[in-house]
Amino acid sequence: MTKTLLQVALLFSTLSLSAFGGGKVVLPSMHQSAVGEYHWMDDEDFVNLFSISMAAPGPSMMVVTLVGLKACLPYGIPIAILGALVATLAMFVPSSFLVYFAGNWWDHWKESPWRHSVMDAILPISTGLILAATWIISKTSIHTVPTAIMGVVALSLMLFTKLNPVLMMGVAGVISWTFLK
Amino acid sequence: MAELAGLFLFIGLTSFGGGITAYIRRLVVSQKRWLTDEEFLPGLGLVQLLPGANVVGLAVYIGNHLKGPLGSAVALGSLLVCPFISTCALGFLYFHAGKTADTKALLAGITAAACGLMASMVFEAGEKAIKGAFDIFLIILTFALVRGTPSFELLNHKIPSIPHLSVPMVILIVAPLAVWWHRPRPKKELPEQIGEAKP
Repeated sequence: MTKTLLQVALLFSTLSLSAFGGGKVVLPSMHQSAVGEYHWMDDEDFVNLFSISMAAPGPSMMVVTLVGLKACLPYGIPIAILGALVATLAMFVPSSFLVYFAGNWWDHWKESPWRHSVMDAILPISTGLILAATWIISKTSIHTVPTAIMGVVALSLMLFTKLNPVLMMGVAGVISWTFLK
Repeated sequence: MAELAGLFLFIGLTSFGGGITAYIRRLVVSQKRWLTDEEFLPGLGLVQLLPGANVVGLAVYIGNHLKGPLGSAVALGSLLVCPFISTCALGFLYFHAGKTADTKALLAGITAAACGLMASMVFEAGEKAIKGAFDIFLIILTFALVRGTPSFELLNHKIPSIPHLSVPMVILIVAPLAVWWHRPRPKKELPEQIGEAKP
């Protein structure tokens, strides 16, 4: 139990400091560790937890809460909640410290031309990582023609309309529950 | 302080997915007038540059700006408490229900839509990221290193496969290359700009 909690804490605090461009970029690593390395869950659970976290309120990376919860679920519900708490704090506290301390000398650095260099350098990397995250989620969840169609329709809706993504996911869930059950 | 906590409780409850930095700006700068744009925008630039979710970083930045370190902690805690409780509740509901035909069908639709949402984020990020062919190369390189590559033959040489690497490792490899490529370079001076050189 302690070992699992430590693994959760270590994994997410490392990922916290690597999440350049938001939490979703570390999804590939989270998947590698939670499914491949520690066997906390299978692919299907991982993807389902990710979708649940996307449809729930909060910052984009609440999936860490659910991964921590599932990792510690074998030890009972109180420990599962503790695991969820440890995962959430490990994911959000280290990066917050960084923002806090960096904020204090940010002004000195504001005029440096390197600021734009770093920004321009981070963007393609985070794009590649989000692409990898999309790949992992799609590989597990899109395996029939109807789900592929729904994915493409969802993509077009997000790109070309201002539809609320949570509303869209809810409607997609109801459609698939009605027709694909 | 209570107002600060209240605002971030509200943001935590009403924020879904991404794209809510504009929403925070409207609340904090336009409505509450706690910060001016001159104070808010550098903070936004900072949190976009540093790792972590932008919303979380902004909560820390705004909290610190208004009430110091305690303000940061209060803003962060208020932002996360409601999402934490609701996410845990949904998680227990999921594991309690188990993989029945109902949950499978419901989640199949939600995950398919989530894939579409993620794919749209790739397009949005790519649009900002791609300034030249080298950026496309960086995107593919990052993707390949995270996913791992199969071995293949190239001009009768067997190229060994690359195992997948963790995200921190990939960043350590690709970031120096990317920063070097985007390093500050003297702009080609156009004739009319020569006169405006540094004093």
